[in-house]
Amino acid sequence: MTALLEVDRVSKRFGGLRAVNDVSFAVNPGEVLFIVGPNGAGKTTLFNLITGFVPADAGAIRFAGHSLAGKRPYAAASLGIGRTFQIVKPLRGLTVLENVMLGAFLRTRSPSEAAARAREVLAFLQMEAVANLPANGLPIATLKRLEIARALATRPQLILLDEVVAGLPTAEALALAALLQRLPEWGVSAVAGVEHVMQVVMKVAQRVVVLDRGALIAEGAPADVVRRPEVIEAYLGTKYKQVTG
Amino acid sequence: MTRPRALIAAAGFVLCMLVPLVITQDYQLNVLFRVFLFAGLGLAWNLVGGYAGQLSLGHAAFFGIGGYGLALFHGKLGVPIWGALALGVVAAVLAALVIGQVAFRLRGPYFALSTIAFAEVLRLSAKNLTSITGGDVGYQAPALFDDSPSRWFYWSAVVLTAAAFAVTALAARSRFGFWLQAIREDEDTAMAVGINPARTKLRALLISAALTAVGGGLYASLFLFIVPDQMLAIDISNEIAIVAMLGGAGTLTGPIVGAALLETASEVFKNLFHEAHLLIYGVLIVVVVMFLPEGIVGALTTWWRRRNR
Repeated sequence: MTALLEVDRVSKRFGGLRAVNDVSFAVNPGEVLFIVGPNGAGKTTLFNLITGFVPADAGAIRFAGHSLAGKRPYAAASLGIGRTFQIVKPLRGLTVLENVMLGAFLRTRSPSEAAARAREVLAFLQMEAVANLPANGLPIATLKRLEIARALATRPQLILLDEVVAGLPTAEALALAALLQRLPEWGVSAVAGVEHVMQVVMKVAQRVVVLDRGALIAEGAPADVVRRPEVIEAYLGTKYKQVTG
Repeated sequence: MTRPRALIAAAGFVLCMLVPLVITQDYQLNVLFRVFLFAGLGLAWNLVGGYAGQLSLGHAAFFGIGGYGLALFHGKLGVPIWGALALGVVAAVLAALVIGQVAFRLRGPYFALSTIAFAEVLRLSAKNLTSITGGDVGYQAPALFDDSPSRWFYWSAVVLTAAAFAVTALAARSRFGFWLQAIREDEDTAMAVGINPARTKLRALLISAALTAVGGGLYASLFLFIVPDQMLAIDISNEIAIVAMLGGAGTLTGPIVGAALLETASEVFKNLFHEAHLLIYGVLIVVVVMFLPEGIVGALTTWWRRRNR
């Protein structure tokens, strides 16, 4: 099976900080991959590199047979990469439905077609009830879903979800993660960046990659990955490595 | 815009066109001309400054090019009057293409400053290229209307406003309007859904420049004689932006409300307070900016939504 997204030895420095250091991984069609890492591990930078918001210093990124080198963010979106932001950014003056239509307008010029697509996506994310509410003033859990809905409305092949469950109560986070597992039904693969929500990752992820200080330190099934000493060290510090190891 | 609203707008247009049947004095018609001229200019500015959120303070550039285009294409090259007006519009669109390519690389206050700079460069060029523009001595602009010009100028300003209103109303509910608002709110989010901000803003500026140039042509032809400090003045840029912001930037009817208020108020103040009118005008603007940052229509809309919730 050829990979949908291939990240090949990609690096990015900001001054003296190696934000992403020689990272390689691949996402297969129909897969939901979780990128786990503490705050500052480089997840957001990695997403920014893939979507063209910042240029890579070294390495190659390929998506569905295209090189993404030098591609601007809107070109990456047109190729079929959707993304959400860590800091949710709804368009304040617009309703939830209109926010999602904005995504749908990537593939159609007609407002009525865009609205139809937006309703489909909102139904999938169980958000029909809030469709006509203004986007400002919604609770954070709804805004997180709104970000996903807008990205999904662009008909992507892949969506990158930055801190998709951050700040959500565990029950909410699990419900959302379960929905993400259904993305392949829509022909969408996903890369979900998550922080310290191991309950969620352990329950729903099939494959995870672990980032620490810009480097990829582990890759595999969640149950295996959490036993690795380097992962325990990254999460809990060296003291615990000796205790558990 | 929904069907009943479109009917209201059409009825409003017809009523405005009938005004010269009641008001026949040149002075009053000229004040009303100014109201509708700036309503049209404010609507044109609103596409860029309101919907797309790009604070242009250099729209005098397009206004001046429209006016000088009419005068020079007719006076220097002998193009028929209406053709010269059209060529002025084309020249303004070409200028917008150049200005937009450069200015839209900048964001926020830097964008605003660069638009002022472009307009000032044009004003100073017009002052110094005396062999072409006549410099400060001025240049003669042709009369677009010979018979009862006050009425005709009034009518053409109403038509300009209606055209700008229709363009805005159609844009606001189309994909283009969504894109402009997305860019205003957050360019990163806009790019993430596939919008090319530079190209979209440029499209808005081209439409805006074309409408503004028509306004400049009308203004030049009304005065019959133009100088750079009048056609390309920073005051013109400011007045266009203030009209839209006073009424409500990014609202459909805001610039019309703003123009009606500002132009009649400044006329009344001019007659009542003579030299002090600028002071009062300034205080009025400060009060609105401080207490009604969304403009009059914006504030009313917010209030209405809250009441009905």
